[in-house]
Amino acid sequence: MYDVVVIGGGAAGLAAIHSAYDPTLKLLLIEREKTLGGILKQCIHNGFGLHHYKEELTGPEYAERGILSVKDLSFETMLDTTVADVEKKSDIFHITIMNTELGEAVIQAKTVILSTGCYERTRGAIQLPGTRPKGIMPAGSAQRYLNIDGYLVGKKVFILGSGDIGLIMARRMRLEGAEVLGVAEIMPYSNGLTRNIVQCLHDFDIPLYLSHTITDIKGIETLEAITISEVDTHFQPIAGTEKTFEVDTLLLSVGLIPDIKMFDSLKFDVSSLTNGAIVDQRYQTSIPGLFACGNALHVHDLVDFVTEESEKAGRFAKDYVLKTKAEKRQLITIDPGDKVRYVLPQYLDITQNFDETVLSLRATESALRGTFNIHQGETLIHSKKARFVAPAEMERLVLKRSDLVSEAPLKVSFEVGT
Amino acid sequence: MYDFIVIGAGISGALITRELSKYQGSVLLLEKENDVGNHATIANSAIVHSGHDPEPNSLKAQLCVRGNALYEVLEKELNIPLLRTGAFVLAHDKEEEATLDMLYRRSKTNKVPDVHYLSIEEARTLEPNLSDSVTKVLSLPSTKVTYPWEVALSAVENAIMNGAEFRKNQTVTSIDYKDGIFVVKVNKDECLHARFVINASGAFADQVAAMLEQEVPYKITPRRGEYFVLDRRVKGFINRTLYPVPTDKGKGVLLVPQVHGNILIGPNSVFQDSKQDITNTKDGLNYVKEEASRLAKDIPYNQVIRTFTGIRATSTYKDFYISSSKAYPQFIHVAGIDSPGLTAAPAIAEYVVNDLIKKLTPLVRKTNFNPYREKIKMFHDMTPEEKKEAFKNEPRYGRLICKCEKVTEGDVIQHIHRIIPGDTVKGVKKRARAGSGICQGGYCEVDVIKLISKELNIPLKSVNYYHQDTPILLKETKVKK
Ligand SMILES: Cc1cc2nc3c(=O)[nH]c(=O)nc-3n(C[C@H](O)[C@H](O)[C@H](O)COP(=O)(O)OP(=O)(O)OC[C@H]3O[C@@H](n4cnc5c(N)ncnc54)[C@H](O)[C@@H]3O)c2cc1C
Ligand SMILES: Cc1cc2nc3c(=O)[nH]c(=O)nc-3n(C[C@H](O)[C@H](O)[C@H](O)COP(=O)(O)OP(=O)(O)OC[C@H]3O[C@@H](n4cnc5c(N)ncnc54)[C@H](O)[C@@H]3O)c2cc1C
Repeated sequence: MYDVVVIGGGAAGLAAIHSAYDPTLKLLLIEREKTLGGILKQCIHNGFGLHHYKEELTGPEYAERGILSVKDLSFETMLDTTVADVEKKSDIFHITIMNTELGEAVIQAKTVILSTGCYERTRGAIQLPGTRPKGIMPAGSAQRYLNIDGYLVGKKVFILGSGDIGLIMARRMRLEGAEVLGVAEIMPYSNGLTRNIVQCLHDFDIPLYLSHTITDIKGIETLEAITISEVDTHFQPIAGTEKTFEVDTLLLSVGLIPDIKMFDSLKFDVSSLTNGAIVDQRYQTSIPGLFACGNALHVHDLVDFVTEESEKAGRFAKDYVLKTKAEKRQLITIDPGDKVRYVLPQYLDITQNFDETVLSLRATESALRGTFNIHQGETLIHSKKARFVAPAEMERLVLKRSDLVSEAPLKVSFEVGT
Repeated sequence: MYDFIVIGAGISGALITRELSKYQGSVLLLEKENDVGNHATIANSAIVHSGHDPEPNSLKAQLCVRGNALYEVLEKELNIPLLRTGAFVLAHDKEEEATLDMLYRRSKTNKVPDVHYLSIEEARTLEPNLSDSVTKVLSLPSTKVTYPWEVALSAVENAIMNGAEFRKNQTVTSIDYKDGIFVVKVNKDECLHARFVINASGAFADQVAAMLEQEVPYKITPRRGEYFVLDRRVKGFINRTLYPVPTDKGKGVLLVPQVHGNILIGPNSVFQDSKQDITNTKDGLNYVKEEASRLAKDIPYNQVIRTFTGIRATSTYKDFYISSSKAYPQFIHVAGIDSPGLTAAPAIAEYVVNDLIKKLTPLVRKTNFNPYREKIKMFHDMTPEEKKEAFKNEPRYGRLICKCEKVTEGDVIQHIHRIIPGDTVKGVKKRARAGSGICQGGYCEVDVIKLISKELNIPLKSVNYYHQDTPILLKETKVKK
């Protein structure tokens, strides 16, 4: 029986096992790939670690730091091993694992941390019109083929969606000799980090078509052309604004979704706003002893915050196992209010001792200046001024225990201006 | 020189080829695509209809009811999946209820078994998500659901086991008749010879027929049908096929539970010029949504994993056109095979062989015909003992590559080395389901490409997405690996 099992060995899993470590506990880290590091391995560009390590690293370098940090800790690691299912029976987690050494096997654990990252939203999910030829794929897949396997997937490329992966891939494919004809984004603003718009598009004269979407795809066997159109405020295409591009590749960077589909049997509460688990400030899900962090919880734009969040989740999981007496939770909700898309955690467990906790959230609008407010019931208990707010960039607020005035629900809102 | 050449490896051509392989004589099946069943047979509602809908005394009615019964045999012999779901036809007002009564009488005439009315309460107990506006329900217990593509694949594989020959990537480009022999040219170069030609080329049937016939007695007018596919997590949202009452446009937009747990929503019905343009349109999908809301409430569209389009080979001849050519009797038209084509397919095969070919030439049954084709059992579906045994022989059953559909490397390998190999990314997807789930191959595509390359000993750059010359990995770069 393991005390803590961490599923997924990316930035989140590495940080979680690091802080869950205790010499008296039996720990296990499970990773489906043959090496640790997760998505970072394919992000060979710079821009990782500015917050956490105070220096600019590439993805693989950041992963290497994480791997080094746990090198001397004694816990078990299973690589090339996939978790196929997790069930909880009378307080014990039964984890079905698969690998080529054991075949299918079941292991048991007192606590589980889900750090399985995210997957990319596909063409089917956004219901793109047109034919379905070869040549349309998620940008992250193209990134993997290029940076890990060493293959280019196309020569004339268009990108739908201005998520970071799409922007990074626009530059990356250009540098490999492909022609990148443009990036279309249905929203009136970009979904990527500002620095990526500048460094990946502007610096390479790649046009960004805001308020545009794909309205047709041509080609029976291989992709031949795509058509984009401008959309109105209801996201409906405006006739007469069509532009057609002859391309052999369409990369989709239209969103990431926490990858927790393997855990359906656990039936924990899932948020329709983040598509990840609903958690309290300890990153504990609705199932006691089950924690979640990193992109498996909500999609992060910066790995530094993945590490920070996951270290906490690991620590709380350790506290959970070490604690001897059963706990009762008393939860108050934290809801997104005006101009806020989501807030995480969704609950505060007020039976817990804590001085402060970090709320992660995303605004629904861009603004040069604005104020984030936290209300408890009718009372404004916290506010913070912010600059350069954008839906693409995660915001963080520090909520102090001493800010709380009652046991009423909390609401976080954003006010543009001043 | 062949006794029989069958053109088109859709479900019709596949089952005809298998039927012919029961007899002595050589059979060659030609398919223009890179795999079996890539046209109507992969993109449809997958329903084995009861026969409640076709006009009495039509070939459609006769072959549909017979075909439905033959699926029970195919299930045993070819190990194809068959869900005995049954179906409801739903009426919403007096006018529709009158149509329902007409269908009830028609079902009786067509000899559809066990048709009966249900009270709204009974219907709602069985289907809690039924739309509130439904006023009357006709139940069709003999309606089933299958995986039509696998029916075609398994029929061709079984025919090959029994001596038939299958060639893919062979487009028939001309047909001549000289001295009692057909000369069938493929890919504009190679000439093949046969005593009989069976034209089962689906939407292309009129074009293929025109290669030989001065006058083709029908024209194919392609009719598009568009769908949403819901993830298999929604399994149980509905448990049987839900039909609206039919209109002059056909059977209408349906909700259909699929054998792998997904739910289909569609199709619409729009005539178009192209026989192969499988475009999805915004209008089409919106129409499907609107119509589907009459069948069930709160359909979970947030679980849509993909959309697709199928093309019906509707012909100007109202019924199926299955007949010997007037001018060249040994040329057999299997045309206008739109709905209920998959249901009818096993009966079409019987009809072509027993009622048409046997009238022209004596056929001698093989004594050693083997009707069985083993199914490749997926690791996920095995019992714990079977899993142990399989893993002992093939450790790669231990590596899960498609997390959505729980497909292992061992599973994929079995399908790569099948009688008709799954040698493309989509070929593997159709056989082993790797990439059919919510991430649509985001995780496993790379593993599938590598497995095909390794198992078939071909370069990564030669692994196709689907058609010939559609590699996903185009060009090797200087990136160090
Ligand atoms: C393309 C891209 C570019 C980015 N660029 C930047 C940037 O420039 N700067 C920056 O700071 N941040 C960037 N980020 C964000 C940051 O890198 C990620 O948010 C972070 O690395 C995610 O870490 P994670 O551990 O949550 O997920 P992952 O790294 O995805 O790790 C999840 C791990 O879980 C494993 N796993 C999944 N399911 C199972 C299972 N069932 N069993 C066993 N193992 C499993 C996976 O194999 C994987 O290794 C980028 C992210 C992406 C996707
Ligand atoms: C939207 C839709 C929904 C349907 N729903 C149902 C249903 O629920 N139940 C039901 O019973 N039926 C249904 N049908 C009908 C059913 O799908 C078809 O009747 C059936 O698949 C037809 O099979 P086929 O073999 O005749 O044609 P196809 O599957 O189209 O096969 C024809 C084959 O011929 C090949 N070919 C064409 N030209 C050439 C050439 N020159 N040389 C070589 N090969 C050639 C093609 O590549 C193709 O593989 C539906 C059809 C559609 C489109």
